[in-house]
Amino acid sequence: MLSRNFRLQRVGDFNWLKTNYVFSNISLSIDELIVLDVSRQNRDPYTFCEHLKRVSEDCFMPIAAGGGVRSIEDADRLLCSGADKIVVNSPLYSNQDLIKSLAERFGQQCIVASIDIKRDTGNDYHMWVENGGRLLENNASFWLRKISKLPVGEIYLNSMDRDGTGQGYDLDIINNLPSHLHVPIILAGGAGNSRHLAQGLADPRVDAVATAHLFNFVGDGLYQARRKLIAAGVELPIWSVWSEL
Amino acid sequence: MTQRKTITVVDYGMGNLWSVISAFRFLGFSPHISSDPIEISTAENLILPGVGAFPLAMKTLRERGIDIAIKKAAENRNTRILGICLGMQLLGATSTEGGQVIGLGLIPGVVTKFNQSKNKPIKVPHVGFNLVRRPKNSRLFVNLPDMADFYFVHSYRMLAEGLDGHVATCVHGDQFAAAYENDNIFATQFHPEKSQTNGLALLQNFLR
Repeated sequence: MLSRNFRLQRVGDFNWLKTNYVFSNISLSIDELIVLDVSRQNRDPYTFCEHLKRVSEDCFMPIAAGGGVRSIEDADRLLCSGADKIVVNSPLYSNQDLIKSLAERFGQQCIVASIDIKRDTGNDYHMWVENGGRLLENNASFWLRKISKLPVGEIYLNSMDRDGTGQGYDLDIINNLPSHLHVPIILAGGAGNSRHLAQGLADPRVDAVATAHLFNFVGDGLYQARRKLIAAGVELPIWSVWSEL
Repeated sequence: MTQRKTITVVDYGMGNLWSVISAFRFLGFSPHISSDPIEISTAENLILPGVGAFPLAMKTLRERGIDIAIKKAAENRNTRILGICLGMQLLGATSTEGGQVIGLGLIPGVVTKFNQSKNKPIKVPHVGFNLVRRPKNSRLFVNLPDMADFYFVHSYRMLAEGLDGHVATCVHGDQFAAAYENDNIFATQFHPEKSQTNGLALLQNFLR
């Protein structure tokens, strides 16, 4: 799936990915993979886990997976299918007890809080849940203050306005976070080239940048982006090319 | 092509076996999962993975007779053992996690929680890729550079001081043992199955 401002566009299923791109090559340019089930209806967690297993079969980096996690069992199923971390969104607002139980069971480092934020007409930001379908009352700062007190290991902050546009990250969404946060921040939504990734990483509040943009899959886009970032002095982990081994 | 070496992955209900198995499959091996003490004690290459708490893991190993099986396998010089993450800690002498708990004692190391330094606070758990300094003469790190990135997720670690054998080190606050090898006992605190080609190379070396 590709999405633009949260409207989904079907690209192809996992077989399409395997046929059209050598994902195991692309995967060598990333530190971590995030796999989300963005189905809006008729979610089938079993099929999703089968796909996750196949993705993780030849990807050897940490994987965060989520989309529709509503119970310990949902999380456990993902963790047994190759995921190392669980991504949660709606329960951050609707079921904070679940977040606590997940952290107790699997450890705080296992929980990634995924937060979708949209600028309103008055320049304030709001958080949306349920696949971006439901606007929460109170502004984003209010919710982020609450969420930062939950036992989560990372915060994945996504700009719905920039999502899929390739126009660059909205760095202002970070202003919604409380200061003195001890949890790593992953910035998402809007990257369209390596310059955008560098802009995100240059912000001292940002620990990681995420991208799902098509440039990842075109030619050696992601490989080149990583190479440029390393050449520019961004401290990314380095691993040898497989053929050198 | 499937290679002929046999690999036995210990299943004691803690840890994500799928990733470890996928990595060995990728390298052309057909790992075998087992919780049977007899199979474990006679394995050719034994992998002890693990994610979770030390006391519960030791209790489970003991209840299933796997602790004795692993020790038997270690005495048998034809068996190579690789402990990964919690698996490395379990091979150690003791851990302070949940009190003072005795480990398998195959590595003379003590496992303790990360020290919080006053000057420069560190994040615990230690999560993410971090640089590992390899020991000079090492089987695991053949063809890897002096410093290489590996993926870590842990709150406890084995101190490097006083360990015999070849010890790779990593710094998070203070220095700790990132990997260990001595004779037929091998261990990594990081996850080679989650460390891209650096980790695959290390697993390949273990089986070489």
